[in-house]
Order: sequence, then C-alpha cells, then structure tokens
Amino acid sequence: MANREFTVANEVHYDRRGPIRWIISHVLRYKLYLFIFFVGTVTTQALTAFTPTLIGSAFTVIVRPHPDLAALGVIALEALAVVAVIFITGPAGVFGSEVIAQRLERDAREELYLSLLAKSQTYHNRQRVGDIMARATNDVRQLNPMINPGVSLILDSTSSLVIPIIFIGFIDWRLLLAPLIFTVFYIFAVRDYTRRLTPVTASMRQQFGQMNAGLEETITGIEVVKSTGQEAQERRKFADAATLYRDYFVKNGEIQARYLPLLLVSFAIVGGFLQALWLYGHGQLTLGHLIAFMGLMALLRYPSFISIFTFSLVQLGVAGANRILSVMREETELDENLAGYSADIRGEITFENVSFAYEEGGPWALRDVSLHVAPGQTVAIVGQTGSGKTTLTKLVNRTYDATEGRVLVDGVEVHGWTLDSLRSQIGAIEQDIFLFSRSIADNIAFGLGEQVTRERIIEAAKQAQAHDFIQGFEHGYDTVVGERGVTLSGGQRQRLAIARALLVNPRILVLDDATSAIDSATEDAIQQALRAVMKDRTTLLITPRLSQIRWADQVVMLKQGQVAAVGTHNELLESSELYRRIFSHYESARNETVTAVAD
Amino acid sequence: MGFIMDGLDAEAYDRTYKDSDLVRRILGYFRPQGRTMLLVSAMVLFASLLDAALPILISRGIDIYSGSRSVTSILVIVGIVLLAGVLSWIFNFVRQSNTARAVGDVVLKLRTDAINATLARDMSFYDEYASGKVVSRVTSDTEDFANVVTLTLNLVSQVMMVGIVTAALFYISAPLALIAVAIAPVCFFVALAFRRIARVTTQRARRALASVNALVQETMSGISVAKSFRQERAIYGEFKTVNQRSYVVNLRQGLTFSAIFPLLGTIAGLGTVLIIYFGGAQVASHHVSAGSWYLFVQAIELFTFPLTGIASFWSQFQQGLGSAERVFALVDATPRVQQTGNEDVQTVQGEIVFDRVSFAYTPNEPVLTDFSLRIPAGQTVALVGHTGAGKSTLGKLVARFYEFQAGRILIDGRDIRSLNLTQYRRHLGVVPQLPFLFNGTIYDNIKYVRPDATEAEIVDAARRVGGGDWLEALPNGLQTEVGELGRGLSLGQRQLVALTRLMLQRPGILILDEATASVDPLTEAQIQEGLDEALANRSALVIAHRLSTIKRADRILVLDHGHIVEDGSHEELLARGGRYAQLYNTYFRHQSADYVPGSGFVAVAEGASRDLTEGVAS
Repeated sequence: MANREFTVANEVHYDRRGPIRWIISHVLRYKLYLFIFFVGTVTTQALTAFTPTLIGSAFTVIVRPHPDLAALGVIALEALAVVAVIFITGPAGVFGSEVIAQRLERDAREELYLSLLAKSQTYHNRQRVGDIMARATNDVRQLNPMINPGVSLILDSTSSLVIPIIFIGFIDWRLLLAPLIFTVFYIFAVRDYTRRLTPVTASMRQQFGQMNAGLEETITGIEVVKSTGQEAQERRKFADAATLYRDYFVKNGEIQARYLPLLLVSFAIVGGFLQALWLYGHGQLTLGHLIAFMGLMALLRYPSFISIFTFSLVQLGVAGANRILSVMREETELDENLAGYSADIRGEITFENVSFAYEEGGPWALRDVSLHVAPGQTVAIVGQTGSGKTTLTKLVNRTYDATEGRVLVDGVEVHGWTLDSLRSQIGAIEQDIFLFSRSIADNIAFGLGEQVTRERIIEAAKQAQAHDFIQGFEHGYDTVVGERGVTLSGGQRQRLAIARALLVNPRILVLDDATSAIDSATEDAIQQALRAVMKDRTTLLITPRLSQIRWADQVVMLKQGQVAAVGTHNELLESSELYRRIFSHYESARNETVTAVAD
Repeated sequence: MGFIMDGLDAEAYDRTYKDSDLVRRILGYFRPQGRTMLLVSAMVLFASLLDAALPILISRGIDIYSGSRSVTSILVIVGIVLLAGVLSWIFNFVRQSNTARAVGDVVLKLRTDAINATLARDMSFYDEYASGKVVSRVTSDTEDFANVVTLTLNLVSQVMMVGIVTAALFYISAPLALIAVAIAPVCFFVALAFRRIARVTTQRARRALASVNALVQETMSGISVAKSFRQERAIYGEFKTVNQRSYVVNLRQGLTFSAIFPLLGTIAGLGTVLIIYFGGAQVASHHVSAGSWYLFVQAIELFTFPLTGIASFWSQFQQGLGSAERVFALVDATPRVQQTGNEDVQTVQGEIVFDRVSFAYTPNEPVLTDFSLRIPAGQTVALVGHTGAGKSTLGKLVARFYEFQAGRILIDGRDIRSLNLTQYRRHLGVVPQLPFLFNGTIYDNIKYVRPDATEAEIVDAARRVGGGDWLEALPNGLQTEVGELGRGLSLGQRQLVALTRLMLQRPGILILDEATASVDPLTEAQIQEGLDEALANRSALVIAHRLSTIKRADRILVLDHGHIVEDGSHEELLARGGRYAQLYNTYFRHQSADYVPGSGFVAVAEGASRDLTEGVAS
C-alpha cells in the first residue's frame, strides 16, 4: 500500500501475504469468541460422546439380578446434567463461530471498501464495476459460510470422530482396532469422493449457467429469432444445452449414490461388535462397556455423513479470499507529486508527438499525436469508436501518462504539476452521467460539500438550464434522484452535471457528450447549457452533434489513434474527404460552406 | 394452489390448477420412467425396512446374548446386521442413481416442452413478460420441480422407517413408547415455529445486505465523481453505518439459524434421560428386556432428524407444486396470433395493403380503427407522429408479431393470415432501435439470418454497408467478438451489423425502427450510407427519428391517434404548414447541421397551433 489517495484513523492492518494468513489475521482479532467457539464445540462433542458411557453404566445397573433403582436415578441425573451442560455449551460454540463469521464478513467488506476508495482513478477506470461488485458481494459473502457452518462443522465432525475414539481407548485399548482402521479408510474414501465429485458438480453448475445464459440470450433476442424464422436453430441449441446438463446431473447423482463412508461405518460397527463380543465372551469386557462401545461406534456415523460438503465450503471461502486479496494488493501507479508545480491554469494544452499504449508492448491507442489548444478554445474531437478520442482527453488530467512524447498544460509538462493542482482545475462531464441517490441540491453541490448556499446552487442550475425542470418536481431541489418514480431523462441528467461542474469552476473542461434529445425544445435548453459551461474555458469536446462540431474553434479528426486532420470546419471540408463524408447527408451545411469558402 | 402464487411472480397467463390435476400431470411425465420408478419405490421400501430393522436386530442380539450366550445365534445376528448394512447401502445406491436418471430425463422433457411452448408464443407475449422471468420458468422452476420428487422419496422412506420403529416400540412397551413418541410433536412444533421465525429474520437480513450492496454499487459506479470532488471521507462514513447495521441484523439471523440444532438436541437429550430412568425401571421390574430398553434409547436419536425434515416438507412440497404450476401455465398458454393457412412463400415483392384494419393492445384502447393504406412494392415510407400515434404498431402487424381484431392485411395481394409464417418472415427485415446481437463474432451474427450463406457472401454484404470501412475500426474485423448482448461494440457498430444482416438477407420488406440515441459522426455517416443501400428500391416502413432519413423516403405519412392525417413528400408537407410542419418544429428542427439554439422554426398555418403545445407536452 505504498500509494494511496485516502486514509482513515485507527485503521486495522491485516496480513495480506496469503488468503489463509489473511483470514487468520482477521479471525485472531476476536480471540475471546474464538475461545468460546472452540471450548463450546469441543465440550459439547465430549459430553455427547460421554452419553453412551452413561447408557452403558445404566445397562450394567439394570441387568443385575436385583437392580438398584437409586443408582439408576443417579445415572439418569448425570445424564440430565450432561444435557443441561450441552444446553449451554452447544449454543455457546455456535454463538462464537457465528459472531466470528459475521464479523469476518463485515470487516473484510470494510477493508475492501477502504482499499477501493484509496485506489486511484486510473485503477477504477480499468475495472468494470461488475467485477468489483462480484468481489464485494459474492466473495465477501462467501467468507461467512466458510466459518459457519464450514469451519464450525469441521471442528464439530473432527471432534466427534476423535473424542469417541479416545473414549473407546479408555474402555479398552484393543477396541481401537476397528475405529482406527475405519478412520484410515474413511479419510481415503472422502478424499476420493471429493476428488470425483468436485469437477462434476462444478461442470454441472457451469452448464446450468450456460443453459440459462443461452436461453436468456434467445429470449432477449427473440425479435431477431422470429423475424428471421430461426426458431429451429434456437430450439436445437437449448436442447443440446439441456441434455448436457442432464448428463452431468445423472453423473452427479451416481457419484453421490456411491458415497462409501456410510458402507465403511457399517463394516466398522460389525467388526467392532464382533471383537467386543469376543472380549466380553472371554470375560475381559463388561456388558456395560460393550453397550458403551457400541454407542460410541454409532457416533461415527455423524462425521461420515457430514463431511460431504464442509470442505467445499472452506475451499470456496479461501478462493473468494484470494480474489479479494488480489484486488486489495493491486498497487496504484499514482504519485501525487507534492513537490511539483502549482498555479492557476490559464488553459493552454499542447501535445508533442504523443503516443500511448494501454499495456507495454501492446497496440498503440494513440500514435504520434501533436496538437495545440489556445486558452479558451473549444476543440471538437471526431472519430469512430476505438479511434482514441477518450484516451486523448484522459492524458490531460493524468488519468494516464503518455508512453512517448509530452503533454503540456500552460507550457508545463503534466507530470511536473502537483496532482492536486492539476486535477482540481480540470473538470470532466462524462458520457454516462453519474448522480448519487440524494437530493438534487446535494448532487449539484457535491463537489464543494457542505459549504454551498442554496442561492449559489440555484444560480448554477439556472445557468445550466436546469432550474425550470427542477422546479417542476413536487419537491423541487429536495427531490431525491432515483426514488419514488423520479427518473431523470438523459438531457436532465446532463444539465445537472453541467450545474455541478459550473459550481466547481474548472479552467479546462473535458466534455464527453453523448446525450441526445428527441425534441428540439430540450435540445435548445441543452445547447444553451453547454454554451454556458464552455464559455471562457478551454474545452475538449467529444460530441455527436454536428452543429457543435461545425461551430467549434478547431476540429481534430482521429483515425485509429492517429490525427487524420486538424483545422476549422471550413478548412476540413476542403481538405478532408473523411470530414466531407460526415456532412454529406446534410445538404444545407454543405451548401452554405461552399458559399462561405467562395467568399 | 392459487394462494401460493400471491405476491410471487404471478403473470397474466398464470392459471390455477387443482392439486390433483397437478399431481396427475406430474405423474404423467414419470410414466415413461415407469420401470425405473417401480425399482426406485421398491428400493425405498426395502431400505427403510432395513433402517428400521437394524436397531431392532441389535436389541434382539443383546437380549439373546445376555440370555443364552449362544455363539452361533449371536453370529447369525451379527451376520444379519452386516448383511443389513451392506444391503441398505446397495439399496440406497440403486435408489439414488436411478432417481437421478429418471428425474434428469423428466426435467429434460419438461424443459423441452417449455422451450417449445415459449418459442411458439408471439411477440405480444415477449413484450409483456420480462425475459428473466420466462427464463427462470424454463430453467429454475423445472429444477425446483425435480427437487420435489427427490424430497418426496426421502420423506416416504423416512416416514416408513419412523412408522415401523414406532410400531415395534408400541409392540414392546406401550408406556415407554409413549415417552419416546412424546418428543415427536415437540420436535415437530419447534421445527415449525423455527421456520416461521427464520423466514422473518431471513427477510430482514436479506434486505440489510441488499442495502449494503446497493451502497457499494453506487459508490463504485460513481467513484470518478466522488474522487474528482474529493468526497471519500463522507462516503466512507455512510458505508460504515450501513455495514454495521447489516452485521447486527445478519448476526441475529445467523444465531436464529444456529440455535435450532442445539435446541432439538436438548429435547432429544431430555427424552433420552427419561428413557434411561423409566425404561431402566421397567427392565428392573422385568416388564421389558434389556435389549428393548437399548432399542428405546436408540429410537430417540433415530427420530429427531426425520422429524425436522417432515416439518419442513410441506412448505417445500407446496413450493415445488407452485413451480410445476408455473411451468405448466407457460406450456399451456395459447398464442394469440392464429394462422388460417400455411401457404408457401417463395418470394415477397413488397406490396403491403391494410384493408380496414382495427387493432388494440388492450380491448378498451383501440390503436387503429378501420385503418386502410396501400404501399406499392419498392416504396419507402417514413412514419412520423407523436408517441402513441401508432407508428410502431403498423410495423408489428406487418411482421405478424401481433394479432389484429378486424379487417385484412395483404402482402402481394395474399392474406397475411394464410401464409407460412416462418417462410414469410425470412423475407422480412426487421431492425429494432437497439439491434440485438448474440454472443459470438460479428461474422456469426451476420450469418445468423441465413445459416447457409458462404463466407464470400458475408464479406460482400459487409462491404456494401458504408463501403465496408467500418470493419477497419474493429480489432479483428469480421472476427471481432461482440461480447455479451453485443456490449463489446458501440451502439453505432451494432446498427452497422444489423444493416449488414439486411444486405445478406435481401428481404422483400423492411421494417426499421430508427435509433434515437446518437452515435459518433463518422459511424453515423456510415449508417446513413448503409441505409441508402438498404432502402433503395425496397418496400420499407421506417419509424423515422432522423431528418436525413425522412428526407430520403419516397413518402411521408403523418400519423395521429391511429389515423393518417398527412401524406406526401418532405417538401410538399413542409410547404403546407400543417401537422408535419409542427412535428418538424418539435422534433427535427435541431437536426440541421447549421442549428443554433432557439432557431430554425418553419412557418405553421394558424389553425394548427393547438397541436404544437400538445406535442411538446408529450
């Protein structure tokens, strides 16, 4: 965690060297609960294993020619005491593991969240929200069942295997023969079972997912399917997927049916029974001990039954932990450059032979781009998807650093600036406008926090042509975005983003404008808002609006990462075939400019 | 079964079946598996007999041995015990593997039926019901249904085992049996009560967790805003509160869940204590044998687990029946589009005639009444009008996605109801606003509309859209993967793929719903060029949103509440200063490349101004 953008006081540090160490370092924070969990579980199992011994003693008492009911009463009271203690220790053990499991989930989520907040924008730009959410929801959640029931049941079943065997040893060490042989075979059988089942279960789940996804796709694209008469193709596709799933399902069922430990335990019980009978027949074992022994052997059924799914829970948890760790470990290449240059930006931007690739040795996203933008100019960047428009704008505020060449702001190379000074004066209005689920006023004031008066918010909203539609909502500026049916159109969201940017007042603005209005009145408002925000600011503009491109001070045409043409609208109409093509379906613009050029 | 559906994902096509009908129908699916199911039932019976016999045998063994000490008889008993253990395992093996096969086959059959029924539905069905819910009926509900079968088999074997053991207990000693059986209702009701509490706490826990996840989702989606405005601390504070709340609620839920087994264990333990003492007293007074006493002690253990299973069975069983009901409702729903004939369609020239057609999506809200229109073969018609004017309805009726209520629609003079729909639709090009792409390459997606097309034909089709240079912008040309639902491509690129499909398909009629979202200007130019090619000499219904497309059309129809109010070319209609001129001012004025905010209005005749305000409001 060398570079961070955000820290909090009293942060707990965990061991991030490996998933198991990480989990242990989390769990060790709660030693008291760990102790309760351990003692509770083991005591409960020990007492449970003690019950057959009591039953054996009771048996000894009652088969006497003249049974002593008082002695039987004492044994019954002992058994009652055991039940009473288990009534406390059983829930206590479970309580301990449950608290640990829930806290592990809570703490891990907090740790991950904090680590994500502290990561640079560069990192976040590279990540898909969906991937991060998968870490923060599924993987974090998986830590919980890993502890309870996962680890909890493993401790449970291990002690319910070990403790009865110890008790058997106390009855007569020779009786250990059957349970120990059983244990060895049992371990091998479970390992073999898991090894065979795991891949089939995984394939089955995966196949279910594929069948589901395939069908989802068919149904979503049903219009294409139907309008091209391809139903038969889709039916076949689904039938294949469903048949494959059925095969895995049957295979899965067969492996489960062949679960061997339950057969082994029968052999162990019979073998043990024979040996105990032999010892009893030779007078080396009392009947009570025989009964106790059989009761203890019967306890072995429990671990052989339960071990089926506990290990996979732990495996899933550790795998999740590993993915969480890989997110948290990722270093951000950011340096804040606190000693750098810091000043008010005038707004001059220069690109000198800039090339950029997202990965070392990867394909160039930008190649040899040179460009000069004077303060206050509006530059329209035009090009197809993947031509490098967005990448170009992201080099200015150092979201990325140029691989080759130099990017300068006001004549100073961008990594000569302190990051704070540079970024705080470069604003961005992105393609997908993000608004928080808070009031409209809070959204507009977001950049300045609490220190904004309502008057300034309204002023900004008016400039952004947003005031009127905000007033149209029942709760005006206090309307919560995204709640109770208040959904905002793309044009409204964009105007709120413009108001948000106007309040912060950046000197350079990157405007990725993808909003389209269906009606002209809305378009009037949006364009007036855009004018307000671009006025007196250097603006890098990516837009589909031909009229914006047409009226820009400068147009840059990008083609596959290279500058295909630079100039004003009229210059490009004359020099660039590609540019002419854009306007070829708009006769008036072409005609007018022809006359303009003729002037 | 109806009540189970309350609040679940009930859909309009859902219907209520009688439980007996449901069960009969489910059994019907198992009929082809008759032999397997017979074998499975036998195995269930034998296995539960053995499960019950084992403890009884052991108790007899103890009695025999403590009485006679005869080695041979005890060896016989031991042999039987071993045999019982082995047989029980074998029976279970046969049962489980055969159940898996039978259930697997039944589910496969059910899924095939469901998908066939689904694909036979018309578009009204898909427009009405969310795709995710339909999918879950075909995949998840069928799966739940399978669980019911497995669950029932388990239950039957457990009930039988408990029944046999109970009978044996009563046979041996009624008073002791009463003690042993007394814990049964206690366990049963504890399990029932637990289920109720668990449901409530689980719901709360889910909600708390969902709010944490929603918060994380929001922060991560808006991280760039939070960061560029430096608001991390405030956001972290909010998160901590919500995360802590979720922890508390989830802990409560976890503890509720974890409490059930220790509690049941305690009840069983109390039962054991009672049996030890009172049973022991009975042995002492020679009312029961020592072996029987041991059987009673074991019976307590034997009972607890199946009882909790039985307590939860009913609701799970009902859920399963509910799933079956949902699947059957999907299978049984009848399509609304009904064909009267199945005539071959070899070619489509493209003449479209609406002859006094009436149509409504819902009975009381007619969209078209007595609507007549003739489009000659090869004519491009642009449809304009406010939302709800009936523009897209015309396209849907020509595609035969919806059933109309009165009149006739003729294609090349033939009644649309008499045609083989699959063949007819292959001559139809339908391009929706957001073109749909299947996961795979662009090449696969183009080929989809004509699986027999050669590579040369596909490459040629791609070249005919915008000169083919849109492929240069793609990393692997035609072999570029489009990603899930085509998300790997930009919206404009997806439209280009859809246009290429048309080039390959060469439909006789084109129905195009033009996208309203904007794409980058270069791609837009390529789309325009592609449209030039696609619309040339082809019958087309275009729901137009772009001025350039409208100008290109042979004919413009202005629709208002299902009626044609103006009919003519762009220049004619603009000069008329009527409805079209109003629509132009409302929707198209800003699409000129010379547009300056607040300018570009065309003149509208006096009488028509009422409509203008109406238009802005919509």
